[in-house]
Amino acid sequence: MTADDPVTGATAADTTAAGGNDSSAAILVAARKVRAAGPGAPRLARDPVNLPAIRNWTDAIGDANPLYTDEAFAAASVHGELVAPPAMIQVWTMPGLQPQAAGGGADPLGQMMTALDEAGFTSVVATNCGQTYHRYLRHGELLSLRAELTDVTGPKRTGLGEGWFVTTRNVWYSGDEPVAEMDWRVVKIRPGVAEAGPAKPPTPAVGAGSVMRPPVSADTEFFWAGTQLGELRIQHCGACGALRHPPGPACLTCGATEKQDYQLAAGTGSVYSYVVHRHPPVPGKQLPIVVALVELTEGVRVMGELTGTDPDQVRIGMPVRASFIRVDDELVLPGWRADERAVPGALPELVLDVTATLVVATAIATRDFYPVHHDRDFAVRHGSKDIFLNILTTTGLVQRYVTDWAGPEAIVRAVSIRLGVPCYAGDRLTFSGRVMKSSAGEQVVAVTGTCSLGDHVTGTVRLAATRSAA
Amino acid sequence: MISGAAAIAGIGATEFSKDSGRSELKLAVQAVRDALDDAGLTPRDVDGLVTFSMDSNAEIAVAREIGAGELTFFSLIGYGGGAACATVQQAAMAVATGAAQVVVCYRALNERSGRRFGQVSVAAVQAATSSGIDNGWHYPMGLATPAATVAMAARRYMHAYGATSADFGAVAFADRRHAATNPAAWFYQRPITLAEHQESRWICEPLRLLDCCQETDGAVAVVVTSPDRARSLKESPVVIRAAAQGSGPNQYTMTSYYRDDLTGLPEMGVVARQLWTQAGVGPDDIRTAVLYDHFTPYVLMQLEELGFCLRGDARNFIADGAIELGGRLPLNPHGGQLGEGYLHGMNGIAEAVRQVRGTSVNQVPGDGPVLVTAGTGVPTSGLILGPD
Repeated sequence: MTADDPVTGATAADTTAAGGNDSSAAILVAARKVRAAGPGAPRLARDPVNLPAIRNWTDAIGDANPLYTDEAFAAASVHGELVAPPAMIQVWTMPGLQPQAAGGGADPLGQMMTALDEAGFTSVVATNCGQTYHRYLRHGELLSLRAELTDVTGPKRTGLGEGWFVTTRNVWYSGDEPVAEMDWRVVKIRPGVAEAGPAKPPTPAVGAGSVMRPPVSADTEFFWAGTQLGELRIQHCGACGALRHPPGPACLTCGATEKQDYQLAAGTGSVYSYVVHRHPPVPGKQLPIVVALVELTEGVRVMGELTGTDPDQVRIGMPVRASFIRVDDELVLPGWRADERAVPGALPELVLDVTATLVVATAIATRDFYPVHHDRDFAVRHGSKDIFLNILTTTGLVQRYVTDWAGPEAIVRAVSIRLGVPCYAGDRLTFSGRVMKSSAGEQVVAVTGTCSLGDHVTGTVRLAATRSAA
Repeated sequence: MISGAAAIAGIGATEFSKDSGRSELKLAVQAVRDALDDAGLTPRDVDGLVTFSMDSNAEIAVAREIGAGELTFFSLIGYGGGAACATVQQAAMAVATGAAQVVVCYRALNERSGRRFGQVSVAAVQAATSSGIDNGWHYPMGLATPAATVAMAARRYMHAYGATSADFGAVAFADRRHAATNPAAWFYQRPITLAEHQESRWICEPLRLLDCCQETDGAVAVVVTSPDRARSLKESPVVIRAAAQGSGPNQYTMTSYYRDDLTGLPEMGVVARQLWTQAGVGPDDIRTAVLYDHFTPYVLMQLEELGFCLRGDARNFIADGAIELGGRLPLNPHGGQLGEGYLHGMNGIAEAVRQVRGTSVNQVPGDGPVLVTAGTGVPTSGLILGPD
């Protein structure tokens, strides 16, 4: 239930054929029925909040916060005892590897999934998760979950095909006391009919054709070999020391054609100029895009797509750093991202090698046994490149990233994330963040997690202000 | 010296449309014949042909179809619209050296119903040429249309000098005002307001739809011969007072982003210096100018490169209707490529000829020389034309 696949374009999707056919009508009838029934029966956690499960989770996520596992530290903290990581909330009520026969399909989400399965929308992708924590949980508390269907919209065109967005509101109780809430959105997709449908398809979200490939010559191949390795290689003249970009057979300063090698750019610079391209379509690109000419710290200019920043927020002079946009196995394009390290309130980066072990260990520690997170053959058979991180793990990593910075006693009030591209085993995930808002009572930290395919996750973490703004 | 060594004796064109309904070769033939009729010459008189390397009609095909005999001179000029005035320069050099007696320059294109230059040309980045390699530093990253390449320079220009989208709009406004009274213009009787410019959709920020020229089907031809020969023909000669090409340091086609600044058009500066020297005149002597206007920001930069105003001051220079009919320096009296049609700059040469002859529908009074420029952002060219 927690497959996180590419959802590029999903939130900006155009509505097609709103209603107007039998399957849409049946889905909407089912949605009305499920919604009218209100919250489903509570689902009881199998085990109370407990230290072994917490240890498995903190090991897998890599969260060293002593608040969760160091009894003495926790006793001296504001909590007075060991508590559970807030982002574990969903773990406690996961169905597990052998779901109780009575449990499956009975809750509102399950009922809606069944209705969509029957209409042919059989694939599921989680897109959004917004969790609010009323308080930290103590060991021994037994939770129950009540879920309610809040919204069903579709069919919409998404980057993956035609789909329905299903939103549920989930409330966890300890006894009668609500302790946490979650708005949870998934998209159910009809496999293999991305371009089908009787209605005239709207303008494709992505320009027809694939990303244009640069011709490569003997003068330029070093540059493209570099991007494959995450290196920005700039031609360097061994005779006079001058740099040039784009590369060519000769030094533009002293004229030498021999001793032309390269040096690695630091990957930092600032926007010299930029455009926001809206028309016409560009093969392989989802418009609008920002294309920026960047002046590197080394003094040469390099062109690339600037991702991760709202077009309206881009400015000449804005600090950026190199990113590497993998198109496929053979092509990696140079690109840019805002350099959060250069702005006030920036958090230090966290770089994680997402090994197969990490993917599997976190899936098990979050009690998510969907095979795409541990069985490579299954994942490939279902159209993925490899096994990939589940959304519960991404939520946990976002929390860990922020509390690593904010300190072990920071109180996490909410984590809200939106998933982008999948993060496959073998990739590298880099978290960056920035304090968006800081008041007497609260701090809001914006977090982005980027892998080689682009933004894996964007979101915010709300903290009770226990630390002054960095 | 090229100045005064050749003259334009005839101009011709097809209608300017969005769907010509015929081949580009047929358009070329019709425009060339029209120009020869205008000059009072026959196809048999033609011994030289010049066109753009982008034109799809070979000189020999045009010669064959118009019924010309032997050719002693034929030539192709590269770099898109930058070739426009250079075709006339080539013709003038051929006439001046005796390589040919009557040279016709032509450009024919179904640019709306056929290949549309404003769309992304994947082929341009697949070419196994130095130009293909050059495009490889921009196209894959998403900078892949002429509008986008101009927008990149325009953004920097705005940043450096405080120019605004409304300043660009003043150029579009003038072009459309002039086209509104030119029956040959696509936008005849359809002027725009500045507000309409500001409300037109973004194409590639900071460029709006109304900053971009039209897409046009059609053809234009120009007949060049010696001044002596021209004097014996139907129309009074329009003398080529100056003709020049130029490319700048570290030049690219539309993407010269790796030289000192992005706020000028050094290649047009190279052209300008030659034009003023050859013609022995200066900016103040120019009666009207046809400045290449595929995108409005480069009109401002051209005014600066050509010396009509100081760097960064074009936005003030064009204020208060200075570039409109009746203003200090009326630009593009035919409506330009935004208003009349996009004929890769060749229709601008034809308008300059009419202005010198005194036969334009939007005639600018006086007898001073007329300036014409070719494509901007690329290696380019220019002309100064005057009466005999």
